[in-house]
Amino acid sequence: MPDETSTPTRPDVLIIGGGWAGSIMAKELTEAGLNVTMLERGHDHSTAVEGTYPGSIDELRGAIRKRLFQKLARTSLTIRNRPDQTALPYRQLTAFLPGEGVGGAGLHWSGCHFRATEDDLRLRSATIERYGENFIPKDMHLQDYGVTYGELEPFFDKAEKVFGTSGEASSVRGQKTGRGNIFAPDRSDHFPLPPMADTFSASVFRAAATDMGYHPFSIPAANASQPYTNPYGCQMGPCNFCGYCSGYACYLYSKASPNVNILPALRQDRRFTLITQAQVLEIMLDDTHKKATGVRYVDLSSRTEKTLEADLVILSAFQLHNVHLMLVSGIGQPYDPVTQTGTIGRNFTYQTITSSRVWLPEDRFTSQFVGAGGAGVAIDDFNHPGFDRGRLGFIGGSPIWVNQAGLKPIAAAQGSGGKGAPRWGSAYKSAMIDQYRHSLGIDAHGSNMAYRDVYLDLDPTWTNAYGQPLLRMTFTWKDNDIRMNQHVVSHIGDIAHAMGATRTSLNSLQPGQPFDSRVYQTTHLNGGVIMGENPKTSALNRYLQSWDVPNLFVIGSSAFPQGMGYNPTGLVAALAYWSAHHIRRTYLRNPGPMVSA
Amino acid sequence: MTVLSPRPTIRKRLSSARALLLAGLGLLGLGSSGLPARPALATDSPLPAGLIEEGHYQAVLGDCAACHTQPGRAPYSGGMPFKLPIGTIYSTNISPDPVHGIGRYTEAEFARAVQLGIRKDGSALYPAMPYPSYARLSKADIHALYVYFQRGVAPQPVSPPPNGLIWPLSMRWPLHIWRWLFSPSIQSAQLRTNNQFSDPVLARGAYLVEGPGHCGACHSPRSITLNEKAQTAKDGPLFLSGGGVVEQWVVPSLRQENRTGLGRWSEQDIVDFLRTGRARTGASFGGMTPVIVHSAHAFKDDDLHAIARYLKQLAPARKETPWVYDPTTTERLRQADLSQPGAQTYVDRCAACHRTDGAGYGTVFPPLAGNPVVMTDDATSLIHIILAGDSTHALPTTPSAFAMPSFADTLSDKEIADLVSFIRQSWGNNARAVKEGTVRRIRQNLPQLETPAQLPKN
Amino acid sequence: MGGAASLSSVPLLSRTAEAEPDKKAPKVPENDPAHYKPTFFSQEEYLFLCHACERIFPQDENGPGAQALGAPRFIDRQMSTPYGFGDLWYMKAPFHEGPPELGYQLPYNPRDLYRGTITPINTHCLMTYNALFAALPPDRQDEVLHDMENNRLRFNDIPGAAFFEQLRTNTLEGAFADPAYGGNHDMGGWKMMGFPGARADFMDWINQEGAPYPFGPVGMPARPDPYSSAFQTDEEG
Repeated sequence: MPDETSTPTRPDVLIIGGGWAGSIMAKELTEAGLNVTMLERGHDHSTAVEGTYPGSIDELRGAIRKRLFQKLARTSLTIRNRPDQTALPYRQLTAFLPGEGVGGAGLHWSGCHFRATEDDLRLRSATIERYGENFIPKDMHLQDYGVTYGELEPFFDKAEKVFGTSGEASSVRGQKTGRGNIFAPDRSDHFPLPPMADTFSASVFRAAATDMGYHPFSIPAANASQPYTNPYGCQMGPCNFCGYCSGYACYLYSKASPNVNILPALRQDRRFTLITQAQVLEIMLDDTHKKATGVRYVDLSSRTEKTLEADLVILSAFQLHNVHLMLVSGIGQPYDPVTQTGTIGRNFTYQTITSSRVWLPEDRFTSQFVGAGGAGVAIDDFNHPGFDRGRLGFIGGSPIWVNQAGLKPIAAAQGSGGKGAPRWGSAYKSAMIDQYRHSLGIDAHGSNMAYRDVYLDLDPTWTNAYGQPLLRMTFTWKDNDIRMNQHVVSHIGDIAHAMGATRTSLNSLQPGQPFDSRVYQTTHLNGGVIMGENPKTSALNRYLQSWDVPNLFVIGSSAFPQGMGYNPTGLVAALAYWSAHHIRRTYLRNPGPMVSA
Repeated sequence: MTVLSPRPTIRKRLSSARALLLAGLGLLGLGSSGLPARPALATDSPLPAGLIEEGHYQAVLGDCAACHTQPGRAPYSGGMPFKLPIGTIYSTNISPDPVHGIGRYTEAEFARAVQLGIRKDGSALYPAMPYPSYARLSKADIHALYVYFQRGVAPQPVSPPPNGLIWPLSMRWPLHIWRWLFSPSIQSAQLRTNNQFSDPVLARGAYLVEGPGHCGACHSPRSITLNEKAQTAKDGPLFLSGGGVVEQWVVPSLRQENRTGLGRWSEQDIVDFLRTGRARTGASFGGMTPVIVHSAHAFKDDDLHAIARYLKQLAPARKETPWVYDPTTTERLRQADLSQPGAQTYVDRCAACHRTDGAGYGTVFPPLAGNPVVMTDDATSLIHIILAGDSTHALPTTPSAFAMPSFADTLSDKEIADLVSFIRQSWGNNARAVKEGTVRRIRQNLPQLETPAQLPKN
Repeated sequence: MGGAASLSSVPLLSRTAEAEPDKKAPKVPENDPAHYKPTFFSQEEYLFLCHACERIFPQDENGPGAQALGAPRFIDRQMSTPYGFGDLWYMKAPFHEGPPELGYQLPYNPRDLYRGTITPINTHCLMTYNALFAALPPDRQDEVLHDMENNRLRFNDIPGAAFFEQLRTNTLEGAFADPAYGGNHDMGGWKMMGFPGARADFMDWINQEGAPYPFGPVGMPARPDPYSSAFQTDEEG
């Protein structure tokens, strides 16, 4: 084993980032016979250490002090709502929580494992077909991915089998089956595991939604409903609804993660090298600026700067970091919102999510601590392609769900009160306890479109620990998305009534409400290095290959042209397998652009 | 894969067989001695195709690396320390280095050492070297093994440190007496093992278990003089009926007892267990894990089935009322009745993985209900694993490994005693209760816990 | 703007505390929060903390309050962790005030926030009500806290709301974090809420049809000591 001071040998492939995207690419490319080196800025993570039972069942250390998340002290970003503001640093992890260390956000995620709808992948074309081009607001950058559901289907299927996803199909090879999501497109195969059980909260929602004529289904969950062995031979335990998914390493080995589902096989492969504590600073280019030669990185264990060369570079860090590395490496043209030229930083999107609360009678205990990150019951009646947006005047949509992921007491206490209710004192205390015992949450988890003046670039003032400018986020909510959210939330009240609610607190985005970085709103950040069919409006071709530097592929939700109603991980994984498939089939035989610009 | 971050290598544990014998006697003293001579096997002579591979497989079957390869060191360069009350001794270099290894052994000298325990210089080996079992190796297998060690292994010019035994235990001559008393001749050993079964699969199983696999070294009871009381299936029901307690792990029976043996394990369960360290019916822990990691997982499928089928026909050494699942405890726990001593601790700390019904979860978390190692008369293993925790290992046959945490700092002696008694008497299990003092004694002699760096990576 | 050094150090008041929060407890086990001697906070600061936390999370018919749960002890111990020193935050200059939606922008870590605020609050109370915060009647204490929450008070350059949010956050953490951290004494917070703690197994209780979960709470193991340096820095190795 080489010691830490040695210079690693030159691999064929360098992979930046050890999360889902990087691990999938590493597995695929070692299978293709290549020597692959994966660079991860954080430490190695294992279930036996980070997820040890019962010591890891510790909310303070996990979700509150954010053990597995990005170390902001080293690097962060700045945020503003409008281009005329001064962006200020994101000093505390609040709105979104990128990961750090092997597994990345794939170690501390929840496990909701969706595909995409057919329309999600060709939203511009589908919108024009249904509603005409004038339906698209002027400042909206609505785009197609350049890949269709049909093309991605085998890779959605592959990812589900690797993740050990629990769910119920509706249609398999054209045959109606089970009671899955009737709006979901056809599948080549069933889910590898049966759906997760319904918590009490989810079962009440399912019954009410059914009565109202909606079409509830079990959320596809990368939490194993049974013990499972995936195609790589990696094993998962069964989920017991302990509720420690989001923010934690799953102690039961039952939440899919790169660490549990892919890396065990990779670690046995001599062609695979993992370098941890390697903070990549730059993707190096040759003089033509058309070819990546390798990376420059800081070895944090020896505090020395090193370089590594390779023939092929895969950028698969978290979305924000993919964009940042493209910008600081000078690859592609930075997006300019005034001239609307350039692609890097363009089409940055997020997720609209609002959580409403429903109280059941006092003799009904919702046991909100029971849960699994990916488990729950959802309806797609306001998200599926056929849902008529024409009269409503918005693009996009939102599933509604009860996704009881395990509510822990500190989060419950800090989230209680507000909206006119006391936030402390005896009245608060009574209300908080009542809310913990007898209420449940219903979310509208919706899409977010891309806009001309919502983008990412480099901050002029603040820097990271390595002296590089921080990424700057210019982001707020726009009317289309607020209208969408308000419409969807307007139906939650009726569902709550049908559930026997004694009281509800409905929350929706309000017109003019700016994005508030102090409130957690998922870690589903998208775009900035998007895929597409036109190099003027996308940074990557449909194989996630850089238009500018053909031996660079950028994998992750950074490739999404806009944010969909579903959680992003399923699509990230499918796109990674899709890209890897075409690298193996086409690129390796004939390295160069796979689509002519 | 290669890891380029500062992590210590995974510790290789002392195999139980070695530890057992070392406790009383000592260690293989095979090594070079005497005068320079030309290599015993000329390295330029042509070899039949596949012979080195075959020899390597023989070395895997015999688990030679367990003692002769130190973790992180060159293969077969020896030097693995064994700390005994009588001093520290080191395994020898069996690489083909002419000075420090066995490069000058002729094939006959090699066979004499491996099968009869006599070194090139005529002195006797410590019987930690399981030569009474290896005596059964066929001439062809010995030949392959010899070729492998001469031609398939790189010479390592290193000497292990000198043994630090105190006199009179440093004298080797008494070992000849032991050898003469208890070790079979090659001819008698081979006759005894080879003539038991007409079915070729069972015959192969007998050969593997009684010969290179040397299962009896741990799993057969030993007499006061430390010889195995039975060495073959023919020798009666003591053979593989369970060994003593080694490093605070109870070595269970491999015979067909219903509760404490392999009576309820199918042939496939045994195959799965040896190949992956885990089966529907139980997972490997303690001293068996290194055997699987270094040796058994790499056995050919036919050989694994031969071993399993052979074990399946070993009549029980004891009659036991068949284990039948009893749902009483499960029902009580599910009705939140924690009145039984140990029930609260079980629900708080154990049921998450092993379930309220004691059934565990497939090959991920092993069952406690009906698991033979839970019901052995001596509860040392169960107490030990609760105190120390343990983990299965990633193998080419199964890349995932699972860890059980240590509860040494979480649970008191009394809590563990109640818990172990609860587990041993629930779901149809019927073993004796355990006293607090037993837990205390085991706790005091607990080996060092695995450090985070030694734990599985998944 | 600088860091902690720029905080003007208001002289400590020499008046001894009148209300001794530990008085009520007669004979109690050793880990009773009432016996705790703070290491970060001065006695006077700690006295303030005990009273302020108790108003945020008071003892009432629902169960124990912040003091009995050991929330002040929890906060004191948190001050010596990386969190207390602001190591979990991006703390690079320059520091500019901005709209609240852009989040925390002060140059102060949690230690600075407490140190820079408690004494000025006491000074404010003395000047306005002629008594230290701890000696005020509860409704008066609430008034002061409300004034901070609504940013009607500001101490040096720390807005009252910034301190109040820090205090509320840490108080609730102290009420509900695992007892190993010094708060949630005897799992009193969890019992009150009906949270079962570190058992983390609901396989048989996923859907109880609205019936309550049957078992009381369980804490995580005593080891590792969450305040040991090994535990705090385990990501580093």
